[in-house]
Amino acid sequence: MTTIHLLLTLLTLTLAGFFIGRSKAIAVCSAQGGPSTLHSRPIYYGILTALWCAVPALIVFLFWLIFQSTIITDLVVADLPDQIRSLPEARLNLVINDLRNIVAGNIVGGNISPAIQAAADHYKSLEMTGQAALSVIVTVMAMVAVAGVWLKITPALRARNHVEKVIEILLLGCSTLAVFTTIGIVLSVLYEAIRFFKIVPVHKFLFGLEWSPQMAIHAEQIGSSGAFGAVPVILGTMLIAGIAMCVAVPLGLMAAIYLSEYANRHFRNVAKPLLEILAGIPTVVYGFFAALVVAPAIRNTGDMLGFSVSSESALAAGLVMGIMIIPFVSSLSDDVINAVPQSLRDGALSLGSTRSETIIHVVLPAALPGIVGGVLLAVSRAIGETMIVVMAAGLSANLTANPFQAVTTVTVQIVTLLVGDQEFDSAKTLAAFALGLLLFVITLILNVVALMVVRKYREHYV
Amino acid sequence: MNQEQTTGHLPRRPGRRPLVERTERETVGQTAVENPRMSCQNVGVFYDSKKAISNICLDIGRNEVIAMIGPSGCGKSTFLRCLNRMNDTIEGCLVTGQILMDGKNIYDSDVDVVPLRAQVGMVFQKPNPFPKSIYDNIAYGARIHGLVQNRDETDELVVGSLKRAGLWNEVKDRLEMPGTSLSGGQQQRLCIARAIAVNPEVILMDEPCSSLDPIATAIIEELIDELKQDYTIAIVTHSMQQASRISQRTAYFHQGDLIEIGPTDQIFLNPLHQLTEDYITGRFG
Ligand SMILES: Nc1ncnc2c1ncn2[C@@H]1O[C@H](COP(=O)(O)OP(=O)(O)O)[C@@H](O)[C@H]1O
Ligand SMILES: [Mg+2]
Repeated sequence: MTTIHLLLTLLTLTLAGFFIGRSKAIAVCSAQGGPSTLHSRPIYYGILTALWCAVPALIVFLFWLIFQSTIITDLVVADLPDQIRSLPEARLNLVINDLRNIVAGNIVGGNISPAIQAAADHYKSLEMTGQAALSVIVTVMAMVAVAGVWLKITPALRARNHVEKVIEILLLGCSTLAVFTTIGIVLSVLYEAIRFFKIVPVHKFLFGLEWSPQMAIHAEQIGSSGAFGAVPVILGTMLIAGIAMCVAVPLGLMAAIYLSEYANRHFRNVAKPLLEILAGIPTVVYGFFAALVVAPAIRNTGDMLGFSVSSESALAAGLVMGIMIIPFVSSLSDDVINAVPQSLRDGALSLGSTRSETIIHVVLPAALPGIVGGVLLAVSRAIGETMIVVMAAGLSANLTANPFQAVTTVTVQIVTLLVGDQEFDSAKTLAAFALGLLLFVITLILNVVALMVVRKYREHYV
Repeated sequence: MNQEQTTGHLPRRPGRRPLVERTERETVGQTAVENPRMSCQNVGVFYDSKKAISNICLDIGRNEVIAMIGPSGCGKSTFLRCLNRMNDTIEGCLVTGQILMDGKNIYDSDVDVVPLRAQVGMVFQKPNPFPKSIYDNIAYGARIHGLVQNRDETDELVVGSLKRAGLWNEVKDRLEMPGTSLSGGQQQRLCIARAIAVNPEVILMDEPCSSLDPIATAIIEELIDELKQDYTIAIVTHSMQQASRISQRTAYFHQGDLIEIGPTDQIFLNPLHQLTEDYITGRFG
């Protein structure tokens, strides 16, 4: 039986288990006088049977999939002739690789030694046996489980509670998976960053004013450890994010105010989804818009006015990024402005406030904490953005606050450090992880602040 | 007022004339008063072309408390909101007819709603203090209308308004606390104080006590009684006892029509319209 067949069999058994369990429950209760004598509704007995049938069998199946190739390989290697087994580790791995390729049918070269051929046959036969054994085990387990539950179905069996428990565990698993993934990512970044900080001291990284990781490639050269001062990169990030926020916050906020306070519902129904589409445009598209349209326009304007503007500028990247972020600000602000109770507006209007007085004095103060939360989330988004900057702001780590110069950002540097063939223990590569950690800490802080602001808002106005 | 008048079985005068038929929708009673503060003529309101009230003629006299009663959904709030053009804020709401104030139709295109609303203040069903301090809640309206020039004048106005709303003693040492931290009854009095602070001539109240307990209600009723010295008050209430306790005239609305208007005593003791009698005797409502 192939894997697919096995899974289909299991599915059939599970379905059968469901119906068997359910009909047993119905039979049991009708013998005793109606469904009310059952602890749970019959469907729960069906689900319970199906779960017992499927879950243990699937777990065995998964373990098999994970460990099958290691176990079989070990068995085959143990049977190889001594002179092959005594090969050094690296050579042995090559032999095993050949072996697997032969088994998989990708014949390597013409000269397969008889010993290897024999081993490959051995491997195949073991695999077949294993597969057959697995099929038998899984099928039998499923059937035994169905039978076991079937025997246990009595009116007193608390099937609903058991099913609820399983569902709860399932949900718990899903939620912890996300958490553990995050923790895993953080730990791996942290681990590599610590390796980096063994080469470059933390304070040099955090406070160094020069960023030129390229020199570190030639490790043998004396005094060529490169410069890993993160300050220019961080400042570049801040500069671009700052420009982006200068664009996004006023535009987004005013768009939100117009949509929620002034626009009639037809306009709103059309404009709000359109505005949100902005968030759906791939950032690469924004990137070439920035590089091909905005940056040249800025340079030409600058030339006309007599500034020298480099063709890749922080301004171009920041402007376009700001436009990209508008929907984050406007959508969240629109939500919080709409959440301000109409009764507050009525109260202000009934005192003779104009619409704009009502908005400035009553609606915005009430919505402000929520708006701040939205803006902070948008800032994290701006800091994390990469593509637009790569395409429009350049790669050179200038320590400057001049928006007409090329700058670079943390995310861009991470990308350039890791693109291409790299040794994974050079300071250059590891620096990417340190930057990643730094970025993570910055956005984490921003998010925590945003959450705190939003929570305060909730306490205040509900 | 005597409790017996308003509950259940009303004493009937023997030999009274027959009531107006249930099917009749012309307003019964004296709609006009001498020298009215506001005068409504054939007022109708449509929400998205769905008629909410129609053909309402009613005068609101000076320094009177006029109560509006009727089953819910009959258009009391809608009518009340016409009087200070709060219906303007509802999209798709159309008001027809005329409402005259000082001889001028407030729905004329050259009328500015901002001073109108300062002149005709409003208190809502649910207390809606701004999420600002008690002090700023009161000062807000006066500031936007430029009624106060400096801190001293503002202080004076805040204290005066709170005193007139009977709230001063309870809040005098916590004026910086948020208005939302007060109890429901105190919040409602804060809203009344806020309305008074901009010096209106008419105060509209839409079920101002419906979310309050009986004690807070009694305090507000007492307050309304005092305020009628200086203001004209139009109040919507679902409590007939309240209408009979505080108002001089009562208007009964039914399914968008003004059915009957008359002196409060007469409406409750001796209604002229069958629908009014049905309502006050509790046959529906
Ligand atoms: N904003 C609105 N939009 C549409 N219809 C409304 C609106 N407000 C009230 N109505 C309708 O107008 C009628 C009168 O409502 P309302 O004046 O609130 O009644 P009342 O205050 O007497 O209970 C009701 O049928 C109600 O459904
Ligand atoms: Mg109402």
